[in-house]
Amino acid sequence: MADKTPNTLLHGSLDALILKTVAAGPRHGYAIARFIEEASGETVVVEEGSLYPALYRMERRGWLEAEWGESELGRRVKMYRLTRAGRAQLAAETAAWRQFSAGVSRILLAQ
Amino acid sequence: MKRSLRSWLWSVPLEKEVDDEIAFHREMRARESMERRPQQRLVEANLKVGLNDQVGLRRTLIDIGRKRDREMQLTQWLQECWTDVRFALRQMRRAPGFTSVAVLTLALGIGANSAMFALADGVLFRPLPFPAADRLVVVEEAAAAATGALRSRIAVLNVRDWSEQNRTFETLAGIYLSPGNGGPAMSGYGPAEIILNQTVTARFFDVLGVRPLLGRTFRPSDERPGDEPSVVLSERFWRTRLGADPTVVGRQLIFDGRPRTVIGIVPAEFEFVRPSSMWTLFPIPADGATRRLFTGMRVIGRLRPGVAPAAAQADISAIADRLAAQYGDQRLDRRISVEPFRSDLVGPDLRRVSLLFVGIVAIILFMCCANVANLLLARATGRARELAVRSALGAGRSRIVRQLLTESVTLAILGGLAGGVIGEAMLAVAPNVLPAGLLPGGVALIFDARVVAFCAVAAVGTGIAFGAVPAWQVARHPLAEVIGAGSSRTATTSGTRLRGVLVGAEIAAAVLLLCGGGLFLRTLLTVEGAVPGYGAEPESVLTMDLTLPAQPQYSTATQRLQFFQAAEREIAGAPGVRSVAWASTLPMGNSQIGSQFFDIDGDAPGAEVERPLANYQIVSPSYFTTVAVPILAGRGFTDRDTESSAPVCVVNEAFVERYLRGRPVLGARIRMAIFPTGDLVTREVIGVARQVKGRADEREDPAQIYVPNAQNAWNEAYLLVRATNRGASIAAQVRAALDRIDPDLPVRSVLTLEGVADAATARYRFRASIALAFAVVALGLALAGVFGVLAYTVEQRTREIGVRIAVGATTGHIVRLVLGSAARTVASGTVAGVGLAALLGRSLSVFLFGVAPIDPITFLLAIVVICGTTAAACSLPAMRAARIDPATTFRQD
Repeated sequence: MADKTPNTLLHGSLDALILKTVAAGPRHGYAIARFIEEASGETVVVEEGSLYPALYRMERRGWLEAEWGESELGRRVKMYRLTRAGRAQLAAETAAWRQFSAGVSRILLAQ
Repeated sequence: MKRSLRSWLWSVPLEKEVDDEIAFHREMRARESMERRPQQRLVEANLKVGLNDQVGLRRTLIDIGRKRDREMQLTQWLQECWTDVRFALRQMRRAPGFTSVAVLTLALGIGANSAMFALADGVLFRPLPFPAADRLVVVEEAAAAATGALRSRIAVLNVRDWSEQNRTFETLAGIYLSPGNGGPAMSGYGPAEIILNQTVTARFFDVLGVRPLLGRTFRPSDERPGDEPSVVLSERFWRTRLGADPTVVGRQLIFDGRPRTVIGIVPAEFEFVRPSSMWTLFPIPADGATRRLFTGMRVIGRLRPGVAPAAAQADISAIADRLAAQYGDQRLDRRISVEPFRSDLVGPDLRRVSLLFVGIVAIILFMCCANVANLLLARATGRARELAVRSALGAGRSRIVRQLLTESVTLAILGGLAGGVIGEAMLAVAPNVLPAGLLPGGVALIFDARVVAFCAVAAVGTGIAFGAVPAWQVARHPLAEVIGAGSSRTATTSGTRLRGVLVGAEIAAAVLLLCGGGLFLRTLLTVEGAVPGYGAEPESVLTMDLTLPAQPQYSTATQRLQFFQAAEREIAGAPGVRSVAWASTLPMGNSQIGSQFFDIDGDAPGAEVERPLANYQIVSPSYFTTVAVPILAGRGFTDRDTESSAPVCVVNEAFVERYLRGRPVLGARIRMAIFPTGDLVTREVIGVARQVKGRADEREDPAQIYVPNAQNAWNEAYLLVRATNRGASIAAQVRAALDRIDPDLPVRSVLTLEGVADAATARYRFRASIALAFAVVALGLALAGVFGVLAYTVEQRTREIGVRIAVGATTGHIVRLVLGSAARTVASGTVAGVGLAALLGRSLSVFLFGVAPIDPITFLLAIVVICGTTAAACSLPAMRAARIDPATTFRQD
């Protein structure tokens, strides 16, 4: 455990972060990565090797849907938008996370 | 919907989608690194993604993307289907009349088909209720045809030797079916009755794979002589007669005065070939050449896994040849056959009947489809505008065809559901309608998953079949044309032609079924009108099947004769009784003995296989007067023909014709055996009796020999009592009279001669009623088709007709105009139907009796019926056309 960098996300939490990010409005892949990195105060690095498989998977499961949009630089890019099923999934993951972190905190931060 | 829109409107190849996305990401990353945090992130970001990872990532994304697209297509397809289905249901609700007519029509077709499918499935395909039933076979030994219709049976000693010497069977067993209906009587447990018994060899239950409910079945060790006789009981008998008493196993029951130990109870469905209450072991006689001439066993066997019937046949043939050589069996043309158990059990007759019925209902289903297709076509022309609008809104032609097919399949599924209900109802009443003995044991008629699956397939299939017609029309005609036409006239022309063809085909089908039904009806009339040859009124003669139990008081012929004579006197004294007789054969009914070989004195004895055969009937002297069979020459039997007087017999007309032609009949001497002992006696012919029908449908008159019961008193006989009134009314008195002589006598099959004749023709009545019922249904469907098309045409042409009337066309003109095309359709359909009937008639010939498969009277009647009824069906629309008021029609536009 000691050699694990603080940047590594806990398994499964990337999905939740992506859903949360897209909940604010449609974004392209890079924007999602940047948002997560910035919002986490650069403590979390989102690599393309895990970001895109996650996006494609969630699109397949129907949590996200893709549409063509325009990037800040005027290029045609693929934008991801949260679906109704995705919103439900986000709620479920948030609740699970709340429970999990509360549990872990109770142990780690016990006086 | 939206997910699918993306792939529709901005369709990009998946590879490009992935490449573009990754490229964009890297470019942005690079830009970001240079702009904001040159030193820290650049190294990190670029080092982390090596070339290998890039290729791997691309492959992963394409892989996921491909699955995603496939699922999306399916989802989209399903969504479209669901939309179509909902649309179809809305359409149906909007047109309840059309919907209910269409659904009911289809339900009728599918229901009839599902019931007949259940029959055909049970007869032809459904596995028999025995484990690994495909390995069960019947082994027969057929000799040259001289023995007539009798299928050759096997001597029990041969069964034993085959069973011991073969290498192709797992197990082999024999079952003995006695020619009469006799069986032992059981003492105790209620009134005396004959108990249906089958005698079998020890491995019988092992061959069929029967597991007993209680106790065990036979073992080869049970066959050892001297062991206590044992018996296996059927579940049905055990429940009805023994109150399902489990302690009965191991106890002794008394049959015919002798104790037998009950060793087991077997489940009801194993009543094999015919109902049976108990099974006992066939006593295996001591070996000897003459013992092998008594052939009585049917042989069933279970092949070893992987052995073909042909190999088993070769195996048994070799053994049989060896045995024949060893024991001097000289039967000509002896042949072993090994047949699958099912084809033996079902028999060719039942197989043909089920196929025939399946054919009939398939025609009905076709007609239902044609009628619904006609309805849809009429609607399709009305809906042309709606379809055009959909097309204009971007729906492709294939999309519209799909939607139309979805509508028809939805309709058909509703029809299939209702049809399933109808089919189940038909199967529920079937047991009360089917003639007894139509279905052999082991063949069940049930509504199960197989029938449900059939209904589902039939529904989807018919939906596509009748939906294809209007869909094809839409596909063929440019939709723009329809819109441009402004009215529905364009689509109408070809639609009308198509509807004409469908109706013509329906007429042809109806004519075909009418001809078939007519042939069956004529057969039934011939069979029912058969002159039985006896003079008594059939309803006045009461008959019952009586077997003297194997008790000491009936053990000798003299004792049995005393009983028969005493009973005759006792019953004759009962009120309402006109006369009483005993016989071993009922006219048009069963024979307890069957046919016997005989030789005429003076003729050179023929070879074994060519010996003459005659139906052997043991009768009391009063028989000829009781059923009123005239004696044409000589005399009948009297009380002076006794055990000790000269042996005599009476022969019938066919006997004289066939065997005594051109010779003095009275005084001819005939040598034949006493039944069943086989002792030979020479009898003098003392009289000639009128021909009496043995069966209603016999193709040639059977030769019959009557012998007095005083000279061959056997313990099974039919009692015939002629009443002054109706026979049924004296049943109780007769039974009481019998009880006064012996209260323990088992009596069965109490029927009047009318009932006997009815039972004999039951299968003809059944076939004729099914065939006629469906012919009537077919006629109704065809008439509905003709009427519907004509009524629709008149409606379509209202304006044209109005114009014609306005310019002076007479009523006659109009009627001729309207009826012209209908008459052509009916005429060509009729011609086609008669042609088909002539072609297919030959295949019906096995079912027919006394009528040729191409019967002018029947065909003519069918034509008259179809022409008369279609004319009636057409008259209404024609009258409507003639009454069209031109003024009103013009005002409408």
